[in-house]
Amino acid sequence: MEDSDKKEVLGLLAGSLNQAMRMYMENCARCGVCIEACHAYASTGDVRYSAVARAQNLRRVFEKNHSYTGKIAPWLNEAVELDARWMDKVYETAYTCTGCRRCMTYCPFGIDTQQIQAIAKAMLYAADMEPKPLTMKAKESAAKGQKLETAREKFQREIAAIRQELAEVFPGKSPEEIVPLDVKGADVLFVSMAERISILPAAKLFTAARTNWSLSYFEAVNFGAFLGVPQLTRQIYERITNEVEQLGIKTLVICECGTAFRLMKHMIGKRSFEVVTILQLLDRYIREGRIKLDKSVIEGRVTYHDPCQIGRSAGVYEEPRNCIRAVTDSFVEMHPNRMENWCCGGGGGLVIAAEPEFRMMTSRVKVDQIKATGADILTTACEMCYAQLKDLNEEYELDLRVSLVSELLAEALILD
Amino acid sequence: MADSFWYVVMVPMVYFSVAWCIAWGTVRVVEVLKAPKAPYTLRIFPVGSGSDDPPKSPLAGAFWDAFTMPTVRKHNPRLWVFLIVFHVSLVLLFLAHLDILPQINIMPVDSPHMLGYGAIGLVLAVCLLYLLFRRFRTPVREVSVPGDYLVLVLLLAAVITGDTISWGNSWSESGFVMTKADFGSYLDSLLKFTWADPRQFLSGSHYAVIGTHVLLANLFLIFLPFSKIMHFAFAVPLNKLRRG
Repeated sequence: MEDSDKKEVLGLLAGSLNQAMRMYMENCARCGVCIEACHAYASTGDVRYSAVARAQNLRRVFEKNHSYTGKIAPWLNEAVELDARWMDKVYETAYTCTGCRRCMTYCPFGIDTQQIQAIAKAMLYAADMEPKPLTMKAKESAAKGQKLETAREKFQREIAAIRQELAEVFPGKSPEEIVPLDVKGADVLFVSMAERISILPAAKLFTAARTNWSLSYFEAVNFGAFLGVPQLTRQIYERITNEVEQLGIKTLVICECGTAFRLMKHMIGKRSFEVVTILQLLDRYIREGRIKLDKSVIEGRVTYHDPCQIGRSAGVYEEPRNCIRAVTDSFVEMHPNRMENWCCGGGGGLVIAAEPEFRMMTSRVKVDQIKATGADILTTACEMCYAQLKDLNEEYELDLRVSLVSELLAEALILD
Repeated sequence: MADSFWYVVMVPMVYFSVAWCIAWGTVRVVEVLKAPKAPYTLRIFPVGSGSDDPPKSPLAGAFWDAFTMPTVRKHNPRLWVFLIVFHVSLVLLFLAHLDILPQINIMPVDSPHMLGYGAIGLVLAVCLLYLLFRRFRTPVREVSVPGDYLVLVLLLAAVITGDTISWGNSWSESGFVMTKADFGSYLDSLLKFTWADPRQFLSGSHYAVIGTHVLLANLFLIFLPFSKIMHFAFAVPLNKLRRG
């Protein structure tokens, strides 16, 4: 590792030492209570995949550079000099963890491993060691915000098929009315995954509810956050905040994407608009009678996986359940659930960044949890979880239907 | 020579250790206070709280979490029992040492015993042995560092010598060699900066054990600001972050 690279990487570590990080770095008692919290440890029994072990990889570098004991008696807390070999350990911290924050509910101090992981990710990015598919996607997203006109034209072409499909469902409405773009002063700006799976159900449900809405040109997912690079993260989310502000919209509705929701809701500071998940909005529509659902359409037992970033990290527990209960009487909970739910194993960008074998191996506990429900349909409210759960379904031959909650609602929708 | 050594340990070194501990402890706290705040909430949302709900009395919750460790109780009840007993015993031990001062009399002035009649030390020793031995086992062994063992061994040694003082006090046929009042005179002289030789207050034959106990306590105080024991200052703010 070049001296200049090392200096830059260590500079990043130094720059990230806010109050929380200092306390996280200096106060872990290594009691080991968090070990059992991690789905990866629970699935493999490998201590490397525990919150404390991952944090230690970074804490030992911190010790060497920022603590008195690390300088005087490095053996005491096993301080290490950062080098290329140790950067592999930093990689382990960053990309074997989904940032699900379940360990925080075990730790007596509430140490947030995701924060430690974010620094590890930023260090890897600075050392050009991050998983390249994530960088590629993050840069694509950021570029989309810079070449706005090209992005708009491309997006309009992409949604043409969806518009056409929905025009058949809502005769008498123009495709542009069903999937509207650039609606100034609309009640809602919906940020989708920029894919059929999230646009189609939302458009169907919004049209049925007579929502005055506009579809964002941009995808909700923020690959900058998965890379732990604040500048990229900001560049990507600012595309959306600028769009909301330019259109003068008061409610930003995020599709079923955990990281995007937590980021926009809790991490970008106070804004002029409110942020809700699509399931919070749909729950409201159901309660207000703006959408009517047929409980006979969805057949079989339905279970729900709480996405970590929507549940534990953002407090949306009941609205998705209300939505599911509106389409079925056969809802069954996973155990544990809500704040204590096991992570799916694909969060934090691991669906893209990690080897599929690793994701499958470290999610056995999730598979057991799903199997125990005896469900026929597995739903969730996050695209990353959705992708991972689909992979688990295939790998472990669970023979389930994996679906987003909004898909079920759109299917059960009663059209006037 | 030995007398001079014990004098240094039991008088100047005590002042040094206490001053060192307070000064460096303050530095450690100030370092954290001077750092910028986290840019966004690090809150975990408990069941029953919505995304827009403000956290319910986060400070009270943080105190509750720090002092009762509900997460440990839930996920590792045996460890929780030992941790609670250990921390309560530490508080009692602190009180027992304060009680030696002539100005404080939880136990009667003429009592030969300290608060707890020696039981606090024994309970602490058992807890420390548990905390130490659990570090020898997988998976905690894999995540432990030498500093984790050192702090436990140092505390255990200090506690055992404390227990020995308590026990050794009954060695004499005529009863207790050194009483609470004798120890009180020593501490009082320290508080009043008389620089008097403790030997004149503590006449027992196990004076060396007392000296060793004080030496270990001094070493513990010197090490404390650089150890994870500083969590006593940060447990509440850390839990406050989780509570929002």
